[in-house]
Amino acid sequence: MFNLSANFIFDPLSIFFIFVILIVSSAAALYSHGYLKNAYTFPRKVFAWVLLLIFVCSMLLVVTGSNLLVFIIAWELMSLVSYFFVVFDFQYNRSIQAGMIYIVITHIGTAFLLAAFLMIYQAAHSFDFIALKDACHLLPMQTRNTIFLLLLIGFGTKAGIVPMHIWLPYAHPQAPSHISSIMSGVMIKTAIYGMIRFIFFILGITSPWWGILVLILAIISCLVGVIYALMEHDIKKLLAYHSVENIGIILLGVGLGMFFVSMNLPYLAVFALVAGLYHLINHAIFKGLLFLCAGSVCKATGTRNMEKMGGLIKRMPHTAVYFLIGAMAISALPPLNGFVSEWLTLQAFFLGALNTLGGTKVFLGICAAMLALTGGLAAACFVKAFGIIFLAQPRSQYAESAREVSWSMKAGMFILAALVIIFGLAAGSIVKLLIKVSAATLGVDGSALNLSAYNLTLNLQALMPGPVGKDSYLSLPYLAALLVILGAIFFVIYRLAKRKSLTYKTWDCGYYKVGSRNEYTATAFSKPFRIAFSFFLFPYHKTQKVRESFYHVKAFSYETHTTPVFKKYVYYPLLAWILKFARLLRRIQPGSIHLYLAYIFAVIILLIMFINKF
Amino acid sequence: MQEITLIGILISTCLMVVAKSLLALIRGFRWQSFFLFLATFLIAWKEAQPSLYIIAGLLLVIKVVLIPQLLYKIIKKIKVGQGLGLFVNTQLSLFFVLLFAYLAWDFSSQLIVYGSHAQAGIIAIALFLVLVGFFLMVSRITALAQVVGLLVMENGLFLLASAVSGGMPFFVEIAIFFDVFVSVVIMGSFVYRINKFFTHIDVDKLSHLRG
Repeated sequence: MFNLSANFIFDPLSIFFIFVILIVSSAAALYSHGYLKNAYTFPRKVFAWVLLLIFVCSMLLVVTGSNLLVFIIAWELMSLVSYFFVVFDFQYNRSIQAGMIYIVITHIGTAFLLAAFLMIYQAAHSFDFIALKDACHLLPMQTRNTIFLLLLIGFGTKAGIVPMHIWLPYAHPQAPSHISSIMSGVMIKTAIYGMIRFIFFILGITSPWWGILVLILAIISCLVGVIYALMEHDIKKLLAYHSVENIGIILLGVGLGMFFVSMNLPYLAVFALVAGLYHLINHAIFKGLLFLCAGSVCKATGTRNMEKMGGLIKRMPHTAVYFLIGAMAISALPPLNGFVSEWLTLQAFFLGALNTLGGTKVFLGICAAMLALTGGLAAACFVKAFGIIFLAQPRSQYAESAREVSWSMKAGMFILAALVIIFGLAAGSIVKLLIKVSAATLGVDGSALNLSAYNLTLNLQALMPGPVGKDSYLSLPYLAALLVILGAIFFVIYRLAKRKSLTYKTWDCGYYKVGSRNEYTATAFSKPFRIAFSFFLFPYHKTQKVRESFYHVKAFSYETHTTPVFKKYVYYPLLAWILKFARLLRRIQPGSIHLYLAYIFAVIILLIMFINKF
Repeated sequence: MQEITLIGILISTCLMVVAKSLLALIRGFRWQSFFLFLATFLIAWKEAQPSLYIIAGLLLVIKVVLIPQLLYKIIKKIKVGQGLGLFVNTQLSLFFVLLFAYLAWDFSSQLIVYGSHAQAGIIAIALFLVLVGFFLMVSRITALAQVVGLLVMENGLFLLASAVSGGMPFFVEIAIFFDVFVSVVIMGSFVYRINKFFTHIDVDKLSHLRG
């Protein structure tokens, strides 16, 4: 029964995900050689390697299984192994706490998935994907809607879309850095795989509101993720919140694809899905890179708090360059890969707005605007991150004593940084490959799609009647060349017009003791955003004066906080309700053996009485 | 003849239910086991199976002689009062037990589609024994009563096995006998320890240990 061909699937979508998993995992594995050195004892190093192997294998199983049972077992295995990584540094209390949050929420998600799978199974009486696909087309509308919602919640929990993102900023930073990079770069993408596989491929999309719902959730995830990231001063937590944002961007492409499928615009659907998949692989690469860089910084300084860093560009020049490349990519600056995929997503929105009517036009336009806003805020966030971590004077002893990391860590980062550039410059050919993946997934003949390497938008004249926008012209290699030439010109002008420079101390109002304490901080940098988004963040501050007498203030402390909206207004009330219910249930547990036996006895009696009813 | 033994089992079980003292309970159990031995012996005689003779003999030795003897010894040793401690008084217990008898009969008559009428009767009584054993465990306070309840359930299972399949495989049967015997020895020593530490054997008071 369990033969290879029957239980595994190797269609273009699976192969694409295998590729994503393997490139990020191999770079992270190379990196982990140096990362684990001197940090852990030998048995724990071996344990980390074994777990890494199981982790990667389970993810590969998730994306290749063609059977519900294989899928759910691999899915569970993946969750459990990643839990072990979250609690890998078990001596810290917050690791245990993060692990607890992670394992609970991930299992709630799995429960929703199981419910959906059982409903699908009930229709098909088979676990095989192909059989499920055939059976799902015969399901009534109501059932399909329910299955869709269950799948969305189940996979959304793993992907970390708002408001199910709550575990992500706890769990991802707590794992060792190479695992953070795999978890953020790859593991949450398996949820996107699940959505594409189960919603596009098996369930089949029928109602437009599915796509609209996914788009709304995606937009909220984008904005919430990036705003929280701006407020965050823990470097790895900041990156984790950016994962929430980027999952949102990926889902914009995927959701738009769903919408176009239901509107019967197959070519646009293929294009939107290409945008989503492109951002998926890009995010895997640059978020993997950024987490590896963050790991290097944390290992070198021994802290994750950005306010204690600074000046690392002189001490860790390689890491700084790699981080800069990653930061530019995630901020969608041309000619790097992040730009290409966000550009494609925007194009998909514009094409959608041109080909639909009425309110949908406006909605898609607003989505595009929000995406642009997200990009801008992400850029601001990474200006903060790079500036505070790498520039200026060291802010603490930790940063002062930082040294460049070992060769294997540099090699791991180098691979991903090189891929960031390659995926930017070779966008044309990669998009062609992705069109094949996307068309095969949607069951559309993709060969008619005309998309040249120099022009990253869809040539629609040949495909559909009606108004079509003018083709915009964009070529990443040309753009890169242009940037290089312009840069060279400015450099030459700068050198030619260079005035004599004088090195002197900064004027400090006669205080003559300017030190790292006078530097601009991350908190200060994010203050304008805290004010601009105060309708959502609810910032508040506390001040405290320690006085010796009324005239002599010995110490003054100022703290500023933002209100965690989702935690306070969604999760705490929910938790309180659950605990109340649990306390109620405790009443039937008085600790008497007789009563427990009586429960069993009563059940047996009831079973005997009602045997013929079953 | 078989009917007589079955009725004997039924009556001795009812005697256990109305028993108010530990000694009466154990006496009831002894009678029940004795009738069970007779029933097994009759089956062995009818089917002329030497292995069944051995099992019947074991039944006689272990359940009729050894286990009651052991229980008597424990009672003497721990010098506990004769009372069983009833959650449900004897009249009400008897009423419940009659209800179980009806339920068991109803259940077994639904179960039997191929077998004979007599077989349905044996299954009903076996099931009845299991239910009564459980009922004794639930409704009697002392720990020794729970040991006896468990033994009654085991008797029921034995009867069920011999009724449905003509007895379990020989070695399984023997293994179960020794299991039961050893478990009674262990539980007896536990009851002894409980009594030593808490000066009573009311399982009900264990709830004070709850955290």
